[in-house]
Amino acid sequence: MSTERGVVEEWLSEFKILPEASITSYAASLKEKTSLVSALYEVIQEPQSELLEPVCHQLFEFYRSREKHLRTFTLQFLPELIWCYLSVSTSRDLQSSGCIEALLLSIYNLEIMDDQGHSKILSFTIPSLSKPSVFHEPSSIGSMALTEGALSQHGLSRVVYSGPHPQREMLTAQNRFEVLAFLLLCYNSALNFMPSASLRSLCQMSSRLCISGYPRQHARKYKGLKNRIPVSAEFMVQLLTGIYYSFYNGEWDSARRALDDVLYRAQLELFPEPLLVANAIKASLPQAAVKGTKKGTKSIQVEIAPTSSRISRNAVTSMSIRGHRWKRNDSSELTLPDELSEIAEVDEGFCSRAASSSSQSAMSHSSSGSFSRPPLVKSQRRSLGSRAGGKERESTGDPSREHLSRKQNQRAMSENLELVSLRRLTLTTSHSLPKPGSCSLARTATSVFSKSFEQMIGAAPVHSVAGVNTAGAGTNVETNRFSACSLQEEKLVYISERTELVVPGKSHQRSPSICITLSTD
Amino acid sequence: MAARKAGSRLELEIERCRSECQWDRIPELVRQLSAKLISNDDMAELLLGEAGLEQYLKENPVKQGASPRGPQLKLTEVRKHLTAVLDRGNLKSDFMQEAKLIMAKLNYVEGDIKEALRIYAWVGLDDLQLVAAPPYKLRMIAEGFSIKGLCLEKLPISASTNSLHVDRDQDTITCYEKAGDIALLYLQEVERVQTASIQNRSPKPGPAAPDQELSFFLETGLQRAHVLYFKNGNLTRGVGRFREILRAVETRTTQNLRMTIARQLAEILLRGMCEQSYWNPLEQPPNQSPLDDPLHQGHNTKSYALSRRPWLYTGENIFCPQENTEEALLLLLISESMANRDAVLSRIPEHKNDRIISLQSASVVYDLLTIALGRRGQYEMLSECLERAMKFAFEEFHLWYQFALSLMAAGKSARAVKVLRECIRLKPEDATIPLLAAKLCMGSLHWMDEAERFAKMVVDCSDKSPEFKAKGYLALGLAYSLQATDVSLRGMQEDLQRKALLAFQRAHSLSPTDHQAAFYLALQLAISRQIPEALGYVRQALQLQGDDSNSLHLLALLLSAQKHHHDALNIIDMALSEYPENFILLFTKVKLESLCRGPDEALLTCKHMLQIWKSCYNLTNPSDSGRGSSLLDRAIADRRQLNTITLPDFSDPETGSVHATSIAASRVEQALSEMASSLQSSAPKQGPLHPWMTLAQIWLHAAEVYIGIGKPSEATACIQEAANLFPMSHNVLYMRGQVSELRGNIDDAKRWYEEALSISPTHVKSMQRLSLILHHLGRFSLAEKILRDAVQVNSTAHEVWNSLGEVLQAQGNDDSATECFLTALELEASSPIVPFTIIPRVL
Repeated sequence: MSTERGVVEEWLSEFKILPEASITSYAASLKEKTSLVSALYEVIQEPQSELLEPVCHQLFEFYRSREKHLRTFTLQFLPELIWCYLSVSTSRDLQSSGCIEALLLSIYNLEIMDDQGHSKILSFTIPSLSKPSVFHEPSSIGSMALTEGALSQHGLSRVVYSGPHPQREMLTAQNRFEVLAFLLLCYNSALNFMPSASLRSLCQMSSRLCISGYPRQHARKYKGLKNRIPVSAEFMVQLLTGIYYSFYNGEWDSARRALDDVLYRAQLELFPEPLLVANAIKASLPQAAVKGTKKGTKSIQVEIAPTSSRISRNAVTSMSIRGHRWKRNDSSELTLPDELSEIAEVDEGFCSRAASSSSQSAMSHSSSGSFSRPPLVKSQRRSLGSRAGGKERESTGDPSREHLSRKQNQRAMSENLELVSLRRLTLTTSHSLPKPGSCSLARTATSVFSKSFEQMIGAAPVHSVAGVNTAGAGTNVETNRFSACSLQEEKLVYISERTELVVPGKSHQRSPSICITLSTD
Repeated sequence: MAARKAGSRLELEIERCRSECQWDRIPELVRQLSAKLISNDDMAELLLGEAGLEQYLKENPVKQGASPRGPQLKLTEVRKHLTAVLDRGNLKSDFMQEAKLIMAKLNYVEGDIKEALRIYAWVGLDDLQLVAAPPYKLRMIAEGFSIKGLCLEKLPISASTNSLHVDRDQDTITCYEKAGDIALLYLQEVERVQTASIQNRSPKPGPAAPDQELSFFLETGLQRAHVLYFKNGNLTRGVGRFREILRAVETRTTQNLRMTIARQLAEILLRGMCEQSYWNPLEQPPNQSPLDDPLHQGHNTKSYALSRRPWLYTGENIFCPQENTEEALLLLLISESMANRDAVLSRIPEHKNDRIISLQSASVVYDLLTIALGRRGQYEMLSECLERAMKFAFEEFHLWYQFALSLMAAGKSARAVKVLRECIRLKPEDATIPLLAAKLCMGSLHWMDEAERFAKMVVDCSDKSPEFKAKGYLALGLAYSLQATDVSLRGMQEDLQRKALLAFQRAHSLSPTDHQAAFYLALQLAISRQIPEALGYVRQALQLQGDDSNSLHLLALLLSAQKHHHDALNIIDMALSEYPENFILLFTKVKLESLCRGPDEALLTCKHMLQIWKSCYNLTNPSDSGRGSSLLDRAIADRRQLNTITLPDFSDPETGSVHATSIAASRVEQALSEMASSLQSSAPKQGPLHPWMTLAQIWLHAAEVYIGIGKPSEATACIQEAANLFPMSHNVLYMRGQVSELRGNIDDAKRWYEEALSISPTHVKSMQRLSLILHHLGRFSLAEKILRDAVQVNSTAHEVWNSLGEVLQAQGNDDSATECFLTALELEASSPIVPFTIIPRVL
């Protein structure tokens, strides 16, 4: 103990008298001093130590200097510092964690500013396959990846993932994990420079943080703390980044334990974000290594990959199915379970139902209407009119309402047409808009339209014939199209189909009043 | 002349076959050739030798790490052909080189490494001309380098010095690198020739050239270099090599290779690199990097030159990633698009293996995408990516689950619940999934019946670890408790509250260290006005988690129910020191302050709230009055959203209940409380609606304070601010009624209250004020009717009971009136400053 104390005291004094010129070489030499590092860990772990305050102070001096090695030297203690701060602050012994808290806050306040003193905003570009890059050309990817969704995000979008962060004067329960998550982000951006002791400390911190106060604590035989420590989802995701790195950089065992504990906690907190990442990390661990342990080895290895396709030629794949035409008769087996279509429907919620049913009735009425339309719509009418016939008959029972709804439907129709043409021209879809609620009317209506539109182009003659035969109950005419395009499109077909089923019933009663509210808005 | 032409066409055909590795056709062509040109014996020997060797290799493929075979019987013929050519030496030097290259290959196949190396030295492998060489020649040279590398690796290490050993390693890798580069060039050339000839030949495309498969040697040449780099711990050069291969323009043959390599590089970027050690693909790699094993430190720049290189992707402003996550994402998207293309859709049993393979290669990519996008918080995009994975997902739990979680993280709750239901079907024993679904249902969806069903799934499952079971009871209790708030029949309400209490008690006993269980137990007791018991449990909760905002808030409300208003205010102040931006706490503070510190303090708090609101939501143009143009625009847009959100409740026939609108109103409140909870976790949740509702609430609170001190014009101004945001809010209309009352304008007040009730028929405060006015107007029976309705909605509102008593008294019904007064008195004694239900109840 006394020798360790001596090491730390020597470290405290030698830096103070260090001449400016030799800082660089001193900084580079620090990495070698393993006894110093372990002595510092012990100081940090001992909240009562009187060395703690000068140590924190000097660590901050290191961090404030422009010397990269000095900064990484401080940064390597970050996991341990966070752990000490959190464990002390939950036991509400706020006095003794004061200097650690101050150190964490100071690092935070330094890191949120860039060199010019502006707030740092961390952003990155989401790459897009529709824009050529150093690794690919859009044409070679083929039409597969260029779905509507991809096209709507044509070009690259720059996204802010962290910042700007406000200066903080103290850590409160409200901002605590905001600050700590940002500090971990800084730590993660320098993972390559962290010695393995630091990674181990990170994993240990993650484990303890996640299980203290939970029954699993006993299984892990960890006795330090009894209280549960609150965590945030964002903080856990940052922890997982470090844990993932530790797996492949020599700390397999502790990373494995930490991953399990983070997963356990994320399950109990019902946080989807860390659950997603932790599940993915767990599933992508190399199969062979899952059971055994890989102590101390850097396990980034690659093997020779087979270059020929391992999938036999005669299997139907997404690629091969594109040229394929399905026979119309046997395809009803291909219907997806109802569940799926419900998914689509519920998510669009009320709007889609209203929109598609109004567009449906617009169709049916237009067959008797006399206003002029572009020729494309005529072909649509021919196909859908026959199927919507039954419903039309029913609605004639109430002439006044029919009149009303027809008027609205004409309007809705022309609006929809506009939307269709708009969409055809610009190919901008509402996928990119943030709120579905605000525009899903337009979106669903146009989707239904353009879908039926496609069907006309693809299979007009077959369809009109089949349409007559199935006017009464044939609803799965449309299901025949089993295309390999994205599910997104698929479920839209189902929406339109389902509404046909629903429309003759009670929901039709509803549509006029809905039209009023929606179209006047 | 004709013969010559035929000959040259024949030669072209032979060249094509050699380029495309159609060895089985060579003997036939050679026969034709020999028939035409007698002098070309040696050429025939060469071709037959080559075809024989390749045919043999096709039937007996070489494998990595296989032991040398020694002389093969089947190859004696080949050797005879080649020896003949080499011995006679009649051919042009180009063809002699080819013969030597084939000979070296033969020697390697038969295990004679030294001889192979000797021949390569003899032929001058490094100086062979790449410019203007036909594709097959490029292939031979590429294979030559690859075999040379293999030979060098197998050569026993002589007992020479270590530095020589390092040199040899580098030589070996350089051989492979050259082999890889030339192989890429060869594949590009073959494809170019093929497409050109198809275009020339057309109209009928004829049988397309069969998909080429890379020979072992080309494959080794393409991949061995980076494998060795990683084995030696030199990540920098390994990554560089990966990028070189990926930057070469893709060919059909390299697609699979690119898919794998793109994925592997993404893995390395995510597993082994960080932002600070990153350099982009167009930059020079750093000379010293923490990525590299310090024992194998070499120089990180390429040390060889070739006279021709493969074509790379170039262009004016092509995208070049600037950060490791960016590059990983780009690579994963490329890899994903290819994996997706190979998705095996048919479900017949014969294709099971294919399905497994395509699923595996895709799910690896999707897992990496999850890791990369999760790091950057891009859950919206992640859910779109995972949606594309659904074509693989039939009966695959992992993909379904990840998809559900990504939907949840992206805020698409309704869909997430549906997908979670499929997950439950696939893995009924996992308690987390129904809990997640219950959380969503209780949240913005407000599907209480569903929530109850999911919670019961967890509870009913027999063997669960206690912590999950406790969570299940917590969820069940919350579902009951929230249902009790919604329900309008008294008996049902009491029944649900009792069930909720029981569930919370179970949760608390199963998990005594969970502060949430203790807290919700306390809250439930508070709602049913068992104040002392509630205080006991809230203290327990605070012992377990000292700085939980909800527990502190509940403690303050309980103290206020006991009329210790100053203590309550102290608690709120304490809570606010930990949660300075928590609006729900601030709202309670305003109420408490106007009660015990006077209106000035309360108004100061309102002003403070406006400042916090401004700094929190950091809007572009927040002019002080909140009337800036952009602000207004956005408010209008939001209002429209609000309309579409609340509409379904009016028109949904399924709900069918009389109180459909109370759900709508409670949803608004729900949204508010959710906002408060989303403030705690820093992540901004959905849409921009909540901030505006908060702002309106702040204005309304200020208005209330002004009304309390009798300043109608200031109050009207504040209400106007709120009305600008939500003109149709019943709260706004109610406050307008209050102002009118203050001004003595009873008719106006009555109209406002009626309007408030027409929007929210169960707004108890409006009902109570309206009935008071009716009382004054002498319309007792209508007043009584409204008050009885109000009591049905909220049986704990003591003002309502009091008014009811007054009305009954005025009607001469003294017995009932007394009863009402007593009830009011009793309730008032336990009534908090704001209803307990203001505290958010979320899982």
